Amino acid sequence: MTRFAEPMARLIEELKKLPGVGGKTAQRFAFHILRASDEDAELLAEAIREVKASLRLCSICNNITDVDPCTYCTSATRNQRLVCVVEEPTNIAAIEKTRHYNGVYHVLHGALSPLHGIGPEQLRITNLAKRVESACIDELIVATNPTIEGEATATYLSRLFKSSGVKVTRIATGVPVGSDIEYADEVTMQKAMEGRREL
Amino acid sequence: MSLKQSEAIVLRTYPLREADLLVTLFTRAEGKVKGIARSAKNSKRRFGGALEPLTWVRAYYDDREGQDLARLDSCDILESPLSTTVDYPRVVALEHVAEMLDELLPDREANDAIFRLAVSVLHQLRAGSIWMPLTYFQLWLVRLVGFLPELGTCLACGVALSGSLAYYHALADGLMCVQHKRLASSKLAPESRALAEQMFRAPVESFAEEPWAPSQCADLRRFLVQIMERHIEKKLVTAGMLARL
Ligand SMILES: [Zn+2]
Ligand SMILES: [Zn+2]
Repeated sequence: MTRFAEPMARLIEELKKLPGVGGKTAQRFAFHILRASDEDAELLAEAIREVKASLRLCSICNNITDVDPCTYCTSATRNQRLVCVVEEPTNIAAIEKTRHYNGVYHVLHGALSPLHGIGPEQLRITNLAKRVESACIDELIVATNPTIEGEATATYLSRLFKSSGVKVTRIATGVPVGSDIEYADEVTMQKAMEGRREL
Repeated sequence: MSLKQSEAIVLRTYPLREADLLVTLFTRAEGKVKGIARSAKNSKRRFGGALEPLTWVRAYYDDREGQDLARLDSCDILESPLSTTVDYPRVVALEHVAEMLDELLPDREANDAIFRLAVSVLHQLRAGSIWMPLTYFQLWLVRLVGFLPELGTCLACGVALSGSLAYYHALADGLMCVQHKRLASSKLAPESRALAEQMFRAPVESFAEEPWAPSQCADLRRFLVQIMERHIEKKLVTAGMLARL
């Protein structure tokens, strides 16, 4: 194992903490940074500091933002009465990619996960409950993952908000577009049949 | 190279590097096996919903020379927990089954009785009726791994406990009579012990007529959880979550 000078070893150690980065990649990044101009290295350091200093959670929807409320929550062209509930901030990008959704969001930052000690008390829904109670919402689209934890979260939210009169819907699950139904597993196929719609 | 194949229950998955999943399987053929499912996170096609915890699958895998982790090739779903309603109590119960199996079973040691128990109990674990199958599973699991003490007699004096309250304690290895109970012991009702005896004589399906209230046999479940936690020398996270339901 090559020994590095202390500052280099420290940089490699820090880079190794990034997801998907092992020892070799961390070394490559570290040497790249070392060879980069002082200016580029400073820009990277500055960008990291800036992201931590300026980003926070939107007080309305929990999305990560530099302005509070976030741009979705203050948008005049978006339907503020249609709210899509997602597990992670990164899920928003996947929905925005469709360019067919014009509502706003609520980010849970996770799902119900008993193995990790996350029950209903730990879900970030206080601000969502407030939005529902103040009758600002017509429909909640629950877009949590189609996993047992995502499904449990969806069922929980639908039961929680049932009495409030808000319409709670679940995104469809089924056969991926462009695939062959011959290769769909049985639970996916079952969901696709259950979620069929009239033509 | 020919692949091994076995029925299995998916216990847990952990993300590994960019797109791989580390999967813990309880296989019928060789007990608990850990393996890597390559590209399982971004290519859902090969595994689909099969790697969702508590799915009963047929797994195809092979072992690589000199490595502990198997390579998981593919899985066919035999029964998925996602095919019926998943609500919060049910997901706690399902993950409790996974945590108990993961914590109590040794690696690579087949146990056909526990495998069959798990499959039959998972089939009964439906939204709205979790308490009976959970109790049945805990009871049999503790017995099959060899941790269950004598339920009919006092461990100190050997007197038959028959119709009376029994007592247990985190530091004692069995049940005690009223004379020999320790300070701060918990109670185990004779009705719960009688039900346990019935459960040892009949399959889980025969208890499935009507859902149990959460209070039914709660003392027996606390007793069983305490036995398991004493043996693994740590708390079961999901047992705490169950207690708060
Ligand atoms: Zn917002
Ligand atoms: Zn005694």
